[in-house]
Amino acid sequence: MIKAGQIDKGTALLIKGQPFVCIEREFVNPGKGSAFVRLKLKSPSTGQVLSETMKSQDNAEDITVEDRDIQYLYNDGENFFFQNTETFDQLDVPMKSFPDYQYFMKEGETYRATFWEDQVLDIIIPSKIVFTVAEAEEAIKGDTVQGATKYVTTETGLRVRVPIFIKQGEKIRVNTETKEYLERVNS
Amino acid sequence: MFDFNAARKRSELLMSIRQFFTDKDFLEVSTPTLSPYLIPEPTIKVFSTEFRNEFTGNLPLFMIPSPEIFMKKLLAAGSGSIFQISQCFRNAEQLGNIHNPEFTMLEYYAVGADESDSIDLTIEMIDKTKLDCCPGWIEEKPLVITMAEAMKKYAGIDMDKAENIGYLRREAEKLSLSPAPDEPWDDTFNRIFLTYTEPSLPKDREVYLTEYPERIRCLAAKDSSRPVRKRWEMYIDGIEVANCYAEETDKEEMASYFAEEEARLIKEREGSGDAIPPADPAFPSLDIPESSGTAMGLDRLLAAEMGLKTIEPLLLFPLSDMLTDGKSRI
Repeated sequence: MIKAGQIDKGTALLIKGQPFVCIEREFVNPGKGSAFVRLKLKSPSTGQVLSETMKSQDNAEDITVEDRDIQYLYNDGENFFFQNTETFDQLDVPMKSFPDYQYFMKEGETYRATFWEDQVLDIIIPSKIVFTVAEAEEAIKGDTVQGATKYVTTETGLRVRVPIFIKQGEKIRVNTETKEYLERVNS
Repeated sequence: MFDFNAARKRSELLMSIRQFFTDKDFLEVSTPTLSPYLIPEPTIKVFSTEFRNEFTGNLPLFMIPSPEIFMKKLLAAGSGSIFQISQCFRNAEQLGNIHNPEFTMLEYYAVGADESDSIDLTIEMIDKTKLDCCPGWIEEKPLVITMAEAMKKYAGIDMDKAENIGYLRREAEKLSLSPAPDEPWDDTFNRIFLTYTEPSLPKDREVYLTEYPERIRCLAAKDSSRPVRKRWEMYIDGIEVANCYAEETDKEEMASYFAEEEARLIKEREGSGDAIPPADPAFPSLDIPESSGTAMGLDRLLAAEMGLKTIEPLLLFPLSDMLTDGKSRI
């Protein structure tokens, strides 16, 4: 058990028997009242987001989680399939629980995941990932405007705005939080 | 990166607010941010420090959570209507988003006025000082709604029956909340208020939520006809921006409130390591004139006027940044 006031972003809790991960926490002090916390909790199995308001002194049931490495295999449009790199067990994770993650899942790449028992609560996306440009628009000839950009699509389907000199087949480093181009990677 | 555009907007807003109150014959005052005593407020944690002198000894001092204590002394001494823009400090709150431990407060006291006069004054002030960059809410007619109306509308609570703790607890449970069996009335009320009522208040205009339950004790005067206090809180886009009281002037009420709050503060804080500021012994016997005081978070008003949901981009040195980077935003 922990006090609700100790819950932070990333804390895993059991609510009515179901695991939830805190994605937002805010302290609120209503005028002349005890301290409360407002929480946004996400269910990793359904993607459902729950809003809870608790007194900071209320008890909450926290659960012990563990980080493990998993290797991304593929997705079938509904589930991501991974392999546990230690046990070689295959596991599937509903895609709707992790919207937009498919753009950052590279086949064969290893990701750090947070587990509660055998359930994946969170998948950690590195802050920068190198992608291969799968499709690139041709730069318009004679376009010499400084800072001119165009769109390319990576092998994972992510559309990124890049400088016009980037060509199909080249590798680029992307900030996964902002989905912005960082630099060209020479292989 | 420093946002100098936001700094300019802040400067413009502060200048027009000063002009507005000066034109209305409010005197701008400047009172201390460091004090040896405070108004006892168990729900507000404060920063503490010390005056040190190796020959005369040390003196504990506290950073003010609001300038109320000093401004009311001025009112009692016959200052007439006054206003102040000052830095205030609150400990143990959220770091970031709509909070910073040090923030800018606008506090104004209108003598001879009550809380409903202060609604008119506040609406006029916001309208006359608004920046030219304002989002839609500022053009809409402000909404004035009583707590009883809001609790009924958004949580289905009948405030006439809510005096009865049994009713309130049953309603909370029906709303799938879990109040503790021995929970004080205020806490159960706030559970419902914070979960259902506050998040449902309209976000497209200023909302003045009035007539707080009498049972939530504070230095706002009681209404003579109903069990409510002459107090309001103002929200913009769901964020609490200001609160206001028709000030308590009854010395016996003030003395009993001080004694009760100080006892609670000592009981809750003893052994916790949190600062226990002494209550100002002179405060309850002040001759406070009939007046209404409003405290407004200026960083939040500025954020709302710039269409922002957080105050951090408006602070040149938000503490959350200094702590996470180990350096400022240079």
